[in-house]
Amino acid sequence: MAFRSSPSRSIFKKKSSPSLAPMTSAASYLSALSEADARARGLSKSPTSTPALSLSSSITESSEDTVLNELDDDNRDGLLFPSCAPTSEQVFTTVHTEFGHCSNEDYRYVSQHIPGATLEVVEKDPPYYILLTTYISYLILICVGHVRDFIGKRIYPGAYKHLMPHNGLAPLTSDFDSFYTRRLKQRLAECFAQPVTGVAGRTIVCLDRFSPDFGQSYILTGGRTRALNISSYNYLGFAQGRGGCADAVEESIRQYGVSTLGARMEGGSCDLHVMTEALVARFVGMEDALISSMGFATNSTFIPALVDKGCLVISDELNHASIRFGVRLSGASVRMFKHNDMKSLESLLRESISQGQPKTHRPWKKILLIVEGLYSMEGTLLNLPAILALKKKYKFYVFIDEAHSIGALGPHGRGVHDYFNVNPRDIDILMGTFTKSFGAAGGYIAGNKNLIDRLRLHGHSGPYAEAMTPPVLTQVIASMASIMGIGLPSSLSHPTRTLYSADGEAFQHPGPAAPAMLPSWINLPPALASGQEGETRLRRLAFNSRYLALGLIKLGFITYGDPSSPIVPLLLFHPGKMNLFHTLMKNRQTPIVVVVVAYPATDLVTSRVRFCVSASHTKEDIDVVLRACDEIGDVLDLKLGIRPSERWTVDEIIERAVELVKS
Amino acid sequence: MSFVGPSSSFDPLFAFLSFSLLKVEAAFYSLPGSSVIARYVKSSHQNDPGRTVLELILVVFAIRTLLQSRTRNEKQQKHFIEFDEKEIDELVAEWTPEPLTPQLTATEKSDLAAIPIISGANGAKPRVTKMAKPVLNLASYNFTGLAGNEHITSRAVETLRRYGLGSCGPSGFYGTIDVHTKFEETVASFLGTEAAILYAQSMATIESVIPAFCKRGDLIIADKHSSFAIRKGLEISRATVRWYEHNDLASLEEVLMTIEKEEKRRLRRRGCLSRLFGRSRIQVKYIVTEGIFERDGAMVDLPKLIELKQKYKYRLILDENMSFGSVGRTGRGLTELYNVPATKIDMIVGSAAIGLGAGGGFCAGTQAVIDHQRSNGMAFVFSASLPALLAVSATEAIQILSSTPSILESLHENTRAARAILDKVDGITIPSHPASPLIHIYLKGYTFNPTQIALEESILQEIVDEALSQGVLLTRAKRLRGQEVNEPKPSIKLSISGGSGGLTKKEVEKACAVIKSAVAKVLAKRR
Ligand SMILES: Cc1ncc(COP(=O)(O)O)c(C=O)c1O
Repeated sequence: MAFRSSPSRSIFKKKSSPSLAPMTSAASYLSALSEADARARGLSKSPTSTPALSLSSSITESSEDTVLNELDDDNRDGLLFPSCAPTSEQVFTTVHTEFGHCSNEDYRYVSQHIPGATLEVVEKDPPYYILLTTYISYLILICVGHVRDFIGKRIYPGAYKHLMPHNGLAPLTSDFDSFYTRRLKQRLAECFAQPVTGVAGRTIVCLDRFSPDFGQSYILTGGRTRALNISSYNYLGFAQGRGGCADAVEESIRQYGVSTLGARMEGGSCDLHVMTEALVARFVGMEDALISSMGFATNSTFIPALVDKGCLVISDELNHASIRFGVRLSGASVRMFKHNDMKSLESLLRESISQGQPKTHRPWKKILLIVEGLYSMEGTLLNLPAILALKKKYKFYVFIDEAHSIGALGPHGRGVHDYFNVNPRDIDILMGTFTKSFGAAGGYIAGNKNLIDRLRLHGHSGPYAEAMTPPVLTQVIASMASIMGIGLPSSLSHPTRTLYSADGEAFQHPGPAAPAMLPSWINLPPALASGQEGETRLRRLAFNSRYLALGLIKLGFITYGDPSSPIVPLLLFHPGKMNLFHTLMKNRQTPIVVVVVAYPATDLVTSRVRFCVSASHTKEDIDVVLRACDEIGDVLDLKLGIRPSERWTVDEIIERAVELVKS
Repeated sequence: MSFVGPSSSFDPLFAFLSFSLLKVEAAFYSLPGSSVIARYVKSSHQNDPGRTVLELILVVFAIRTLLQSRTRNEKQQKHFIEFDEKEIDELVAEWTPEPLTPQLTATEKSDLAAIPIISGANGAKPRVTKMAKPVLNLASYNFTGLAGNEHITSRAVETLRRYGLGSCGPSGFYGTIDVHTKFEETVASFLGTEAAILYAQSMATIESVIPAFCKRGDLIIADKHSSFAIRKGLEISRATVRWYEHNDLASLEEVLMTIEKEEKRRLRRRGCLSRLFGRSRIQVKYIVTEGIFERDGAMVDLPKLIELKQKYKYRLILDENMSFGSVGRTGRGLTELYNVPATKIDMIVGSAAIGLGAGGGFCAGTQAVIDHQRSNGMAFVFSASLPALLAVSATEAIQILSSTPSILESLHENTRAARAILDKVDGITIPSHPASPLIHIYLKGYTFNPTQIALEESILQEIVDEALSQGVLLTRAKRLRGQEVNEPKPSIKLSISGGSGGLTKKEVEKACAVIKSAVAKVLAKRR
């Protein structure tokens, strides 16, 4: 608390929050909730983001509950209490700041492909003056950077020591190599690596910081700001410190400890690994699956076991760094095709098959197509039906990285194949990570049993990488089971496929998990075990995604990607607007934290802000984001999409949200 | 293209060509500022050809057109054969790919079946499925006996309730949690370096650290029997790698001397050219090795290594995956064992999964080294950060280690007790350093021979199976045969444990006695 009045506070900070809030009891939380409800209902029909409410009177003494301890003393930012009445179930099982309470059944949607709907995304180009000024911005940045380097090296050689040879050693990084980091990225330092604390749920608590030296280093002020979190990969809202999943994880830590002490093949395998693998296979509808303790390493250590010299990997040009890492280690040849462009893919296939291997013209041993289900920077969806049609003709194997799509797409959350209602067995390899939708960590690869067994033996992770830890395994099991529901398949109301597991057992896909597949000590609460809560999360995510994407378009912004995608990129173009957008969002009455991305993660000109929608957001949260974008968009001249006459006002969008989503 | 012709008649032409080339070059360098451009182009070629191109293109605002034509280039290659559509269709129809993966062989299947599965918590005496009684565990990494430590588990539960499980984002995008920073500060002050960085997996750490600093054209000197992860890091970096004999610093010095000589010769030869290019660039040079080798438990002579690196002006990346948390008075690793300040090593890479019984890996070094990785360490930038509760567990583990020297004392005593028995067992040899709690067992009498790998492995597996039936869990060192370079000799890999959660000295002795009898039994059967 001594830090509170420290004079060195960031000037951008508009309000200071105490580093440790006064303690409250559960009772006072509930009474505050009902007060908030009453207030919200007393207000107009479209609740504003800030029901002014003071809690200080209701604060009593201590409680053991850490989450409640974190409560700030007021709700000025509108993040602490729901503005619409939650159900009592929600009040008792989840914390509104982690997982928003939203009881309105209208705000639900089913994520699925409507047959006949087009997947072609028309990319809207910005006006010419935007492109031109963007290029000029970069040009100025680069020139100024070089001038600063030139002068700086002569005037302050001390500051450039690490770029100069000293002691006979070459510089640690060449000045060319680090030019981008020093002269471009550093100007955006404010937007990156923001230290946070607590759960990365619906809201996140940022540790306030300021930089005495223009972004080279940061000093924490001791203050904290709770912000609406539309940045974390928390699609289904399973990032929670409370609730059935967290209870199961706690139990697993007590029973298993935090680690299994070693690599999978060398004494680090435990029964939970086996169960998780079986459950993952069942979830995605494959014969077998393997898991690895890191999503990045799943690609980087198992792709080399799939292909080698003499094989061709055809890769989407926007594939993730981990895929490139793995492919490079494999020694296979690589060709890239234009992002999600099926024509480019087909012509590349025709060329590579007819030409064969370079120089020798021997036929390729095999061709592996590696694509992502949902692209993390673009929000584009894989055109799975088209790929499978090409696969029939060109006989290549398909590897889909579902890092972002698993859990987030499809009426049952099973990823792209579920979204398009395609048989998963038509795909050779499904890969995904648990970092995103499941609020855990690590990744999986699923396929037929022979393939998976081979990868277990020949993937680098088996003997050399640490196994997944029991708490993470349990989070995966619990969250996955609550999406599937636990029970007998007889009661399924949706159409399913009968598939067979590796040991010949038939099961319905997509269907529930058999009770025997879970450890006996996991007791999920009824709402989770029945799959009802999981379904609600899927529906809420689908609603929120479409609402935000379509809302932004209606406001006049240029966005990329499919409206079903929970990743919504909003184009900013100018590098200078990134900082501004970020700061303006964060300094609002309801602070919002956003992710801005630029070259080299995107094209040079298409700098963007990327929203990651979550099931934990309430409709009101999305309203807040839309309102913020609307205001900032006017200030920063970002509404470059549809013509003003076609636009809706933000109030109209908020009013007609359900209609918009169903359109 | 073969070129056969009376070469003599072309001589004047060549002379003219090279003369005019020199002329052009000289003219170029006489332009003001040209050396800057030349240096720029040169270094950009080494790092990332795309970026120079991009910057140049920017100047002329022609970025789009040029980027698009990049993919077309393939067609203009000289090996391209023109086909018409019908021919292509036929070729496509004809082509039959190999199956995605071949069927597993019988050995592969039995290897897979032999992997022990622990049921319940792993630790010094876990239960293994299919076994009635708990076994003595010499297979899992539990050097410091922190598995199941009550203080750590209760802190982990607290953290779970405060932070949830996953971080749901890479550290750049709201994935930098205060507990990560806390771990980084703790490990840096534990080792005595300026700073440290936490990765989400220990194998991925070294695979990212090497390519973050070494690029195409740089030089790395590495041990011939470096671990698999180091090798992959070297491969990814595309640097030029020179090898020295395993753990043989005399051989390292030889290599360093040879390179120094080559450099001098090259400088002399390129005298005129380097004059044109201005001051010639110093090559980026690294030595990469392990503290305790994963492959055989040998230990590097750190003071000598540091002497060499300083004498020949190299930077040192030391992989302490196996030595961090296992040697030294409080487990700080080789620097503590040899009493060398950690600041003398440029990058120390260690594991929070092996040494600390949690998860993740770290790299410690100067602030500049760490900051560079925050934007260039691939597995750091492109992967979600470590779950908060694992970071907290690792931090707690360090705190326990630094306040309880008795843990490492008991580990070292157990190691000595194990070696006292194992060193006398007939039919095996032990390549590991006497102080290393990671002990490899080789079969004696098999000079290393690639054709015998399968045989050796099957004998070792029999020993492992026999020991298990007598209540001791061992593991063969599992290898990726065919993917390794310099195939490692088959071995059994023991991890001794100590501390309150490890095995007692008596139990270690008992387990080693079981190994002794299992070796004797299996080898007797073979004879
Ligand atoms: C497509 C893709 N694959 C793999 C990964 C790596 O996953 P993780 O963060 O779990 O290491 C990511 C993460 O961003 C991703 O987007």
